[in-house]
Amino acid sequence: MSALLEVRDLRVRYPLRGGFVDVVHGVSLDVRRGETAAIVGESGSGKTTLAMALCGLAPVSAGEVRFDGKALAQDRSRRLMPDRKRLALMFQDASGSLSPRMSVRRILAEPRHIHRVATVDADREALRLLSLVGLGEELADRYPHQLSGGQARRVGLARALALDPDLLIADEPTAGLDVSIQGEVLNLLARVQQETGLGILIITHNLNIVRHVADDMAIMYLGRFVEQGDSRQILSDPRHPYTAALLSANPGLDPEASRSRIELIGEVPSLLHRPRGCEFHTRCPRARETCTETFPESTRGAGARTFNCHFPMGCLPAKP
Amino acid sequence: MAGFVLVGLMLLATVCAPWLAPHDPLEVDVTNRLSSPSAQHWLGTDQLGRDVLSRVLFGGQVALKVSLIAISASMAIGLVLGMIAGFGPRWLDRILLVSFDTVRSFPTIMFALAIVALIGPSLNTVIGVIIATSIPVYARVVRTQTQALRERDFILAERAMGASTLRILRDHVLPNIAPPLVILASMDVPAVIAMEAGLSFLGLGVNPPTPSWGSILNDGYSYLRNSPWPIIAGGLPLIAVTLGFTFFGEALRDIFDPRLRRKDA
Amino acid sequence: MSSPVLEIRDLTVTYQAGHGRVPALRDVSLVIPEGSIVGVVGESGCGKSTLISAIIRLLAPNARIAGGEVRFKDRDLLLLSLEEMRSLRGDDISVVFQDPMTSLSPVLTIGRQMADVQHRGAAGRRARQARSRQMLERVGIPDAEAQLRRYPHQLSGGMRQRVAIAMALMAEPSLLIADEPTTALDATLEVQIIRLLQELQRDVGCSILFVSHHLGVIAELCDAVVVMYAGEVVESGATHDVLRNPRHPYTQRLLDCDPARIAERTRVLPVIAGSLPDLENLPGGCIFRERCLQSFARCAAERPVLSGGSHRTACHLPEAAA
Repeated sequence: MSALLEVRDLRVRYPLRGGFVDVVHGVSLDVRRGETAAIVGESGSGKTTLAMALCGLAPVSAGEVRFDGKALAQDRSRRLMPDRKRLALMFQDASGSLSPRMSVRRILAEPRHIHRVATVDADREALRLLSLVGLGEELADRYPHQLSGGQARRVGLARALALDPDLLIADEPTAGLDVSIQGEVLNLLARVQQETGLGILIITHNLNIVRHVADDMAIMYLGRFVEQGDSRQILSDPRHPYTAALLSANPGLDPEASRSRIELIGEVPSLLHRPRGCEFHTRCPRARETCTETFPESTRGAGARTFNCHFPMGCLPAKP
Repeated sequence: MAGFVLVGLMLLATVCAPWLAPHDPLEVDVTNRLSSPSAQHWLGTDQLGRDVLSRVLFGGQVALKVSLIAISASMAIGLVLGMIAGFGPRWLDRILLVSFDTVRSFPTIMFALAIVALIGPSLNTVIGVIIATSIPVYARVVRTQTQALRERDFILAERAMGASTLRILRDHVLPNIAPPLVILASMDVPAVIAMEAGLSFLGLGVNPPTPSWGSILNDGYSYLRNSPWPIIAGGLPLIAVTLGFTFFGEALRDIFDPRLRRKDA
Repeated sequence: MSSPVLEIRDLTVTYQAGHGRVPALRDVSLVIPEGSIVGVVGESGCGKSTLISAIIRLLAPNARIAGGEVRFKDRDLLLLSLEEMRSLRGDDISVVFQDPMTSLSPVLTIGRQMADVQHRGAAGRRARQARSRQMLERVGIPDAEAQLRRYPHQLSGGMRQRVAIAMALMAEPSLLIADEPTTALDATLEVQIIRLLQELQRDVGCSILFVSHHLGVIAELCDAVVVMYAGEVVESGATHDVLRNPRHPYTQRLLDCDPARIAERTRVLPVIAGSLPDLENLPGGCIFRERCLQSFARCAAERPVLSGGSHRTACHLPEAAA
């Protein structure tokens, strides 16, 4: 059976002053029914643009996307046209994604209005969705600015689930939430997934939650995936130095951990001036001459994982 | 609060002019020309002995009619054009923008003169001129607001859900730009009334003997040396209207601004 | 033993909101010894922003300091005149905020802003520029000379934060207050900034009050930590003690919830059920009672007081009051 979502070599290119930028530079991934895939990256990695492109909100300049086996067509602006009853998006800025002058009740009814799905009792439907995400009925008549961060996020999720989608793309579902309630959103996603077989694609920069929610993961840097595969494997045994750096960038009490931390040099290079050879070499503590000249092709690791590195972790020692 | 009261009073006075006015505004009494305020004539009389107070009250009806019609029409048309410009394709935006700027670059008086040459002076001419010159102003404001909203996450969310452009404009853009627009319009009322007064003052608007604040000012100006009262009487309502609607607009803004609404638990 | 740089005793701040007064801070006490880094950790609504505003006396107009004292180098800041307070700010007490985009003026170049910050000294233009360049180099900004001519929006988030830190430390303050300086940055940049603050603190010798909701950063950077909940201090002590042996149930739960600390993959992550109490209608007794899994009768009746030796906590539980 084919995966729910199959992405092959997706590219999002924007024209810019006498040239162009490849915000997404050829990525491929699969999301299966009932499973969660995570795309991990920092700011500037292109992960949000990727999410937008999959939802038809950003133009796709190359590549193919198949939803449930069928290739998605593109409109005149080269944006994908997925079946929006089956694909839903949760935004990073939860309260910003809710129409400010509409009540929660009305917001939750919006997907049905748009797709002209008949509802016997719109009110009851709104309450059902609210209770699905663990919110009380008193929130139905509130407005977005009257909701807390956690509440807004759950309303966003409720709206996304209104038409019982097959695939949910969640952009930074825990960003801005206190640690004590982050679990609420993630537990909710897990429960819904278990009950409905929902496929979930999580976009995040927080590696700590990936460990608990994702079956597969991909690390994104400058628009490309530098490592991807089974999340458990990658987290316990990263191959790409960037993955290792992200994993070790976890401030904490352990002095050992902070000493053996892989510290990256400098900042993310601009997309306009992609480094030659391996694009990560400017920040990589293990970089050597080969890295500045040749682009590392994909290496297949054990257990269906792939990475792009000339001198992956666990093989040769770090640069002397 | 003061704004609501003032505006309310003025509206009431204007609408009830036929009952409030002590005299017929057109009634001529040449023996009593240019008299100062008295018990009979609270604001004195003009050069034809007509009661100024009554003329001011009925003149208010003209002012009201002009401002209501002109502003509603230009707001409605400006809204539609502005949303199209702000939300639609670039090329359409450019065409509309050029047309707005072209219309705006004509001095209002010249515009008025041109229209008058075509269809003669009258209240409708004034209304037409005001509508034509106001549309670009409203449209530009709406366009800017729409553009700002276009990239907001909740609009993207609607597109992600598959909402049509029409639905987005109607249900999500319009409710968010309407309040500033209404405030702008209400604060525009004094300006429109002043424009009418100006055009009528120049003889491009209302025909005598119909009273309008502009024509009252015009007449009063000619006879200023004889009596200052007509000018004062013609000017006072303009001042009151300007102040009243300015306060009114600010009060509306305080009501509409959602950030000032208390965040409940 | 030299006197502490900052000592706050029983600080209470209330806000006028709608139909009542909201007690945003209640009897908050903390001590920052000379040359140390003290962290304040708490989630939204704990009052940490109010605390900072109260220390630098820039509270909102509807706020009132209802009690307590804030002693900075043995002077009570709350008793100073506005003039005296203003001369302290930016000179002996500096602040670095979360979003450098709002603390840096978008229309002035970096060089101009850094020169402005030096307005108290008598140095001429060239001297100021040299000092600015020196500070930029010190915070690890490459090509400092060129950066002085750029505008904030031309720099990345991480660089802007370094500039903000450079500006804050230029006057060599005795106290640097950092309000969530790394929250908006990616993890790899966050560790760089932590490293930077550690080095600078050693060089300049200042004390740092580091406010954050990120326990991990506090763990690595701070010597001591103060845990706040809904406007009160619930636990305080040496970082090592508090995080290895948390005594207050809130601290314990907070540590439990941190996904970084949960080594084994789990589909159901721990949370602290319930929500913040309504400060306008303060429940009697312990502020954490409603969400505490270990509360008992006394918790509703009597408000616990911070007690203990160097590791203090406000809790009625017997093992907490060690």
